[in-house]
Amino acid sequence: MNASSSGKARAASSSQPSDSSSKRKRGIFQKELQHMMYGFGDDPNPLPETVALVEDIVLEYVTDFAHKAQDMGSKRGKLSVEDFLYLVRKDAPKLNRCKELLSMQEELKQARKAFDVDEEKLAASLD
Amino acid sequence: MEEQMNRYESFRRSGFQKAAMKRLLVSVTGSQKVTMPMTIAMSGIAKMFVGEIVETARIVMSERKESGPIRPCHIREAYRRLKLEGKVPKRTVPRLSFARFSPTQL
Repeated sequence: MNASSSGKARAASSSQPSDSSSKRKRGIFQKELQHMMYGFGDDPNPLPETVALVEDIVLEYVTDFAHKAQDMGSKRGKLSVEDFLYLVRKDAPKLNRCKELLSMQEELKQARKAFDVDEEKLAASLD
Repeated sequence: MEEQMNRYESFRRSGFQKAAMKRLLVSVTGSQKVTMPMTIAMSGIAKMFVGEIVETARIVMSERKESGPIRPCHIREAYRRLKLEGKVPKRTVPRLSFARFSPTQL
């Protein structure tokens, strides 16, 4: 892990995203956040400083969330998606959405697998 | 009506880029074993959290009888309220993150 990637992990001592978000103005999520914020109710063109602040908050949220999941996981040996689900067990909308997304991903995976198998059968039958 | 459709489309289609979210999770956990399900779950959770922030910010604005694009002060107040509601993970103990160490230090 080189030093530049550690910039994404926030110093544990701060409890508030800093007002000068210049430390993390990398804008890694900037484009998607603009669309997301509009979708959730902001103006069609959200203010750049607002997007930057939301990005800071989201980065901190994901960092703290993942650390907590890791604390759960370490008790059972390895980090797993179950640890993420456990952290939202009391938040019904988030939990349900996760289950929905995960089952969709599983369905897609199975569908792709079936497609590959069919292709092989077809290729074999043509020999 | 078209505005509503545009907004709804943005709502449906927007999402955190999987590669970037995975990179973030890897750097935070110092682990290579970040799976696609973890990335998908985290992205979904984070998106809903953004929704909570934006919706709460709009509530703050209407209380203040303000209009226009959301400003940072509204986000800050929204974030404060969400913390009070327990919707933001708390930092318990300062964590030792392997992501902060260079390979030679480990």
